[in-house]
Amino acid sequence: MWDLFKSEALRFRGWTAALAGVNLMALAFATRVEDLAQQRIFVHTAFAVLYAGLGGLLGLYQMGSYRRSSQWLHLLHRPLPRTRIAGALCLAGVIQLVVVVALPMVLVAILQETTTARVVDLRHWMLPVSALLVAACGYVATAFCTLRGPLHAIAALPLLWWLPFSNAYGFGMLAVELLVLGWLVLLLLDAFRPDPAARPRGAGAVVLALSLQMGAYALVMLLFVGLEMIWIAQGSQPGNTATPPAGGHNEVAKLDPRGRMLAALAGSQHPEAALLREQIEHADPESMPLPLPALPQRHELSNFRLAEFNDSRRHVRWVFSHDDMRLHGYRLTDGIRHGMLGVGEAQSAFPSPVAPVWVRRVSLDEDPWLTSGDTLYKFAMETQQVMPRIRVEPGEVVAAVGVVGQSTAVISDQALYFYRGKRLEPGELLTARIRIPMPGKVGDLRSLELVELADGYLAAFVYSARSGGPTGTVPFLALLRTHDDGRIETINRRALRFDYPALYRYRAWWISPALHAVRETARNLFAPPLPLDATDPAPMPQGMRILAAMLALLSLAIAAWRTSATALSLRARLMWITGCGLGGLPALLSLWLMVPPRVRG
Amino acid sequence: MEGDYVIETRALTRRYGRKLALDELDLAIPCGSIHAIVGANGAGKSTLFRILLGFLAPTSGESRILGRDSQHLTPADRGRIGFVNEEHTLPRWMRVSQVTAMQRRQYLRWNQQLFNEVIGHYHVLPEQKVGALSRGERAGFNLALALAQSPELLVLDEPTLGLDVVARRAFLESLLYSNVTDHCTVIYCSHQMEEVERVADNLIILERGQVKNISAPDDFRARVTHWVADVPFKGPDPRTVPGLLEVQRLDGLHHYLVLDQTADFETFLRASGARDVQCMPVSLDRAVNAFLAKNHAAPVAA
Repeated sequence: MWDLFKSEALRFRGWTAALAGVNLMALAFATRVEDLAQQRIFVHTAFAVLYAGLGGLLGLYQMGSYRRSSQWLHLLHRPLPRTRIAGALCLAGVIQLVVVVALPMVLVAILQETTTARVVDLRHWMLPVSALLVAACGYVATAFCTLRGPLHAIAALPLLWWLPFSNAYGFGMLAVELLVLGWLVLLLLDAFRPDPAARPRGAGAVVLALSLQMGAYALVMLLFVGLEMIWIAQGSQPGNTATPPAGGHNEVAKLDPRGRMLAALAGSQHPEAALLREQIEHADPESMPLPLPALPQRHELSNFRLAEFNDSRRHVRWVFSHDDMRLHGYRLTDGIRHGMLGVGEAQSAFPSPVAPVWVRRVSLDEDPWLTSGDTLYKFAMETQQVMPRIRVEPGEVVAAVGVVGQSTAVISDQALYFYRGKRLEPGELLTARIRIPMPGKVGDLRSLELVELADGYLAAFVYSARSGGPTGTVPFLALLRTHDDGRIETINRRALRFDYPALYRYRAWWISPALHAVRETARNLFAPPLPLDATDPAPMPQGMRILAAMLALLSLAIAAWRTSATALSLRARLMWITGCGLGGLPALLSLWLMVPPRVRG
Repeated sequence: MEGDYVIETRALTRRYGRKLALDELDLAIPCGSIHAIVGANGAGKSTLFRILLGFLAPTSGESRILGRDSQHLTPADRGRIGFVNEEHTLPRWMRVSQVTAMQRRQYLRWNQQLFNEVIGHYHVLPEQKVGALSRGERAGFNLALALAQSPELLVLDEPTLGLDVVARRAFLESLLYSNVTDHCTVIYCSHQMEEVERVADNLIILERGQVKNISAPDDFRARVTHWVADVPFKGPDPRTVPGLLEVQRLDGLHHYLVLDQTADFETFLRASGARDVQCMPVSLDRAVNAFLAKNHAAPVAA
């Protein structure tokens, strides 16, 4: 095994050294221009795709060169177990990826840590590990595809798909990457046999069958995307018609803020409806910044939101460190370390990761606002202090801030708060004038318009953010009014129509409820639910359940017929028939891909 | 299936879709000697080797190699079977010494003396990269590696394909001088009949996935005879000629290559109007080619 490993390492040593050099130079150059550690998640995702592609090319070339019949025979026909031969090749491949992908990243991180005042946290040291795992996933996936051939290659698709669509973050994401890599290695080891095209048996067959079922499910989802593209091009997709469907949530979404407030009032029997309509027409409604981006999570590998802001007076950039939960500053002019910021005079650690909040029409004094958990902080450039100014109810998290008239509005994951004043001068914590429990879940909130009245506020909520899918609520409008005496009135609540038919909204479910459940479980594995993702799913129409049941029964029947024409044992037949009954059409497709009909002699 | 055979197949069948590559093949190759397997392209030789080495599953039937089910070969079994293919597949990026060292560590019964003897027939330097060797040198190096593994069975699949005359001769000499058959059974697959004639003790002819002949090469050659007949007319209908492999009319004489015919064939020719008849022996090359060409596919109208 060691000899084969050395042989493979020797084979690619030139390419490995060259690519490592290129990667190192590219990263070093980019680091001179930008702080790579503090990029948004899509930048890091782009790097991940690049590294996975690099790993993929290696797997494709390495296994492709051995896959020719004579080469394959020469490789495997030796007194070594096939798993050790596979291990030698894969180990060499992974070591090459360590040199090409991870080592340059570590060197650049060391360079940044030792020669600059930029923040390098534990999570940043984990980035090379993550990049290596992603590259290794690409490598093993293409190695498997090359050995198994195009028909079975889709077994790797859902595993690769899992990485960008996982909701996990931080060390949870590393666990997901390890899990994906482990599963891919199982697939590869089973394919790494003298006859890779032979139908696997035993545990290998189960692993491949499950992967193929999820792969077929992913293919069907891609097919649906293609159909949607045709639907859009054809011009009748509700989200893209010139005139949105009447009474639906897209129609409301395309209105201007005043139009949305009036739409929320429409049909109200409230005695003051006419007066409120007049006030809305004369006011300048303020839209809260929505949709809400994800809040930063401690030790996240990348950044859901940027965790840095500039002190424009002193030309200092403050960057949040997840290690000590404080802000670290360096001068933009010469990169020299400027100091550290915590909460208040004591410079205490922030309780949660910090994200700057951009507030429209409010920052007259240019002092940045920061959110951290349930607290909104303000950084005073003058005093160089971060002071808490607003704290929502315990257990809630601050999601967004806006200004309406002479007041500040704050959205938490559960309520809307109003505070007097919009400059939030330094001082004690502000007390909310009023707290309005939100009429829906924050994840469903698509827009929120506010108007300041003489004796309170008017708030128009539109809940339809995810009504195009299975997790969204029944779309509705709600118009709430507050009074200075603390009363909160619901002026109107009006249901909107779903613009998309149930067949479209639940397409991921009815095609295979079981595989949909697997997908959702996988997506949320090692991913504690984020507070801003909470939704109130609409009840599923009975028709979808009937459709899913019919498809499952159809799959079961076809599987019974199909397996009768194969050489499967009775036990294997029963497993396939049961699997197709549970997995539906995607499972049936995987049966076709995996089990050939019996050869008639 | 009993022991004493290095290769045994029983009703071995392999289909590729509708195409039948091996057709209920029954084959038993005894231990020792050099056995040549010949057959036209598509006769099933490569499929047979791939199944025997466990790289392809049969559609039905059984196959054993060195007494072991060929679909369940262990690493130790593979250590007992040497294989040299026509491409002489070796890691081109490694040096000769590195490849040799790797093989030496992997094969417990490595015979360095034999390796040195065989490689001595070629001008191969240890520091040379495999990719820099000529095709003939690579073939010799590959043979040296395979023999030094001290296999109990050595399969040589078209080992001299693409080699020039000099390299081919060097390869055969190094094979014969190694006294390989002292401890090893050799399966030699080739289209070069002069090589087969020179090295093989036993000739196995495969045709359309079936065994058509197992005998010593000379015995097979003796089965095919060349008859030249002076027939004034167009001669007998070929469909009535017994054992006919090939018929040609050259310079007014009829030339018949026939299988398993005795002196009675002369009687047949004379009865068909032949005035003068001569019988001549044929070379193995001609005998095998005529045998294999007999059933070649031809357009229906031909």
